Amino acid sequence: MKRPVAVVGVGQTQHSSRRADVNIAGLVREAVDRALQDAGLEHTDIDAVIIGKAPDMLEGVAQPEQFLVGAVGAHMKPMLRVHTAGSVGASTALAAVTHVASGLYERVLTIAFEKQSEGNAMWALSPNMPFMPPLVAGAGGFFAPYCRAYIQRSGCPAHIGALTAVNARANAAKNEYAHLREPLTVEDVLESPMLWDPIRFGETCPSSDGAIALVLASEAAARKGPRRPAWIKSGASYAEAMWVPGRDQVSPLAGRTCAKHVYDQAGITDLWNQIDAAEIYVPFAWFEAMWLENLGFCAESDGWKIIERGEQKLGAHLPINPSGGVLATNPIGASGMIRFGEAALQVMGRAGEHQVEGAKTALGHAYGGGAQYFAMWIVASDQ
Amino acid sequence: MSSLRNVAIVGFAQLPVVARDLHRTSPEMLYPVVRQALADCGVERDAIDFQIAGSVDYMDGRPFGFVAALDVMGSWPPRLDLHLEMDASFCAYYAWLRMQAGDCDTAIVVGHGKTSEGDPRRVLNLQLDPYYQAPMGLDPVSTAALQASAYMARSGVSDRDLASVAAANRTAGARNPENQLHTAATPDELLKTPWAVEPLRSGYLPPVGETATCMVLAAEGKAESMCDRPVWIQGVDHRTELQTIGARDLTQSASARLAAEQALAMAGLQTASEVDVVELFALTPAEELILCDALGLDAQAARPVRNPSGGPLCGYPIMSTGAIRMAEIFRQLSGRAGARAVPGARRAIAHATQGHCLQHNIIWVLGTDRRWA
Amino acid sequence: MANEPPRDPVKYVETHVYLPYHYVAGDSRAGYLRALKDKKILGSKCSKTGKVFVPPVVNSPESFAPADELVEVADRGIVTTFCVVRIPVTGRDLQLPYVAASVALDGASVSIFAPIQECAPDAVRMGMRVEAVWKADGEREGSHEDILYFRPTGEPDAPQDSYIHRL
Repeated sequence: MKRPVAVVGVGQTQHSSRRADVNIAGLVREAVDRALQDAGLEHTDIDAVIIGKAPDMLEGVAQPEQFLVGAVGAHMKPMLRVHTAGSVGASTALAAVTHVASGLYERVLTIAFEKQSEGNAMWALSPNMPFMPPLVAGAGGFFAPYCRAYIQRSGCPAHIGALTAVNARANAAKNEYAHLREPLTVEDVLESPMLWDPIRFGETCPSSDGAIALVLASEAAARKGPRRPAWIKSGASYAEAMWVPGRDQVSPLAGRTCAKHVYDQAGITDLWNQIDAAEIYVPFAWFEAMWLENLGFCAESDGWKIIERGEQKLGAHLPINPSGGVLATNPIGASGMIRFGEAALQVMGRAGEHQVEGAKTALGHAYGGGAQYFAMWIVASDQ
Repeated sequence: MSSLRNVAIVGFAQLPVVARDLHRTSPEMLYPVVRQALADCGVERDAIDFQIAGSVDYMDGRPFGFVAALDVMGSWPPRLDLHLEMDASFCAYYAWLRMQAGDCDTAIVVGHGKTSEGDPRRVLNLQLDPYYQAPMGLDPVSTAALQASAYMARSGVSDRDLASVAAANRTAGARNPENQLHTAATPDELLKTPWAVEPLRSGYLPPVGETATCMVLAAEGKAESMCDRPVWIQGVDHRTELQTIGARDLTQSASARLAAEQALAMAGLQTASEVDVVELFALTPAEELILCDALGLDAQAARPVRNPSGGPLCGYPIMSTGAIRMAEIFRQLSGRAGARAVPGARRAIAHATQGHCLQHNIIWVLGTDRRWA
Repeated sequence: MANEPPRDPVKYVETHVYLPYHYVAGDSRAGYLRALKDKKILGSKCSKTGKVFVPPVVNSPESFAPADELVEVADRGIVTTFCVVRIPVTGRDLQLPYVAASVALDGASVSIFAPIQECAPDAVRMGMRVEAVWKADGEREGSHEDILYFRPTGEPDAPQDSYIHRL
């Protein structure tokens, strides 16, 4: 990066299954207002707006950023719209980082959202396409076979998904913005219906309405703000082809490549000890174990052991998803940026009840497509 | 303005624009142009640091339509990547910005989409806010007609004037083998075409067409070995406006005007008339005239030469029309424009737009020389 | 009555979006589907590495080289992984529960998705050898449904290392 970039404001909405109290513009504006207020700025202080969200079929509006220009204060400013499937919220934030790192923009607003209650999410994600075999039953149906392969390869016991889900809910209970906050027990999860064997209902993310906005700024602008910023030490977004023979769908190469890139750029050499908190994209509970391995927190086949030992809980060595993560809240377009924003809140010391004590360095991670798109960043309290 | 990194367009490949390619899906159309563009630059895929694609799910008629493009772009090993729901010209902007941030030295920028598979007029109705404007059934031709009507009332421009602008595009376009429409037309012929949506005749509007495009960008230090005559980016800016049709002065394009001012300032130019060639992404003759006003160009003047490619009227492939305006400038300034070359062209402007009634505009100032020392 | 304003503020607007699309299959996919009518499963071969992609593709995503040469692969193979789907999906009429499997056909370098039947869901295993069950002669139309499903052949399972990295 040519010059330092900081997160100076974070704003998110109350995420829920249906925000019937606001329309799309109102939902986005709630996050934008909070982020600007957080940063002590007016919309006139913003030089550019970078928006991201997932397929537009989810709301039935094509390129909604066009009608949202007024609501997000982008009139007569540059605006870009990003879409990289599930990772979009994160890759959008990274596109915003580029703007400030380039030296051409001082303060940018980046927004990610989804108001998927307004359409039919299941249909929008997997409509019946001609010339394709009509088989895959949504995202869960696509990923479940690879979760099975992970279980087989690693010897992961059957209750690990449940442990992950229970912990996510326990964390979400401490996150005022999370969608699902009621506690779960391991029995609740193991007794919940099997949706796409081996993924159970209790191990599956919800469908949520929600938005998040971040204000990113140059060093000079950040130092003028009211808050201690979160410094972006590194970031990258990668993608890989789908039909590569022998492609590892359990631990995709794009994920490992992206992780190495952000660790090297941030000078992280001892992951387990240098990262204080990690917000990683876990839409189905089994992925937490899988991603711990893919991200290099442990050796292959050992990810589930971290969860079994409870080392990923709040208060333990390396809290994973202290916000509750995607399992508790999943407005698809926003989730990636929520990971990044929550990582920033941790090192800013502003994660409230789900604050990881003394967190100085945090990882944000998201993935999308057939586990093809990966976007990550590392933020720190020290520049 | 402090010194920026010199970045050039070093290559471009496209398929000819056709009404409907019956033999290839969207990604299958993209594969040969990526190969061609890289071959023309004399580099292997691994020499490219960053890839970015422009496509729109609703135009593809499928969610995640862009994911399939990864497999034809050489996304193995995993690549630094991004995708925008925007025309490839805006994707090029982001690639340029990344180079300014020092994050890459070379990039491929692709545009793809099979416009023929859907009905663009119905699909693009969905771009309008779903509460007030979309339910009125407005489509991009209707909204363009509203703008044309307002413009004609204010400026006194007539139907015949619009026909003349369209005919000039058709005449130029007849010399461009990449176009979908490659026959000339006179104003009288176009005046006989029926109304599409009054005051726009069907002869003033492009047919539905599709293609795939790949542009190669490279920073100084790499560009020189990839192209005999790189075309340097000297200035660029883009701006969007409120979408609400009734809230804007449709007779002007305030965002195009501001983007042009900023881009020209970056390029160290006072006015757009200092360039030799201008390629405008104007879907209608009225838009072309409005853009001339916004750029401070005299629509009657012979220089700068406007739309030597024939403009979008002769070929309007979704997601690539803006990229093709940049491609034409690349061809004109690097000696690749053959019979339609504008003599002595050294500086040019390429424009792209998206949204109804010229809502969002990008202006590129390009030239044969590097801008910054 | 008809001219009175609504008593409550208007909160929702329900819009049905109807958009017709006419998709192009592409020669590659069309050739694959037509061959199914003749009980042939086609793949295409990478001109650089010889690896075979099913259904056929114009290029290898791995090598970036063209993959124009068509080859036939077997209609039998190995279940590399699978899941058991127990919830309905809008627009699909498969009977629940059904097994959606990734099947590595003999001769192919990548897997296809296919349903597994004639086998209790609990009995499906990674590594299980399966064969295609085709629609009867005269009933096949050159569509994906020409293969009804895959069923176990009864042969011994393939060893784990032959498929675990070949999902």
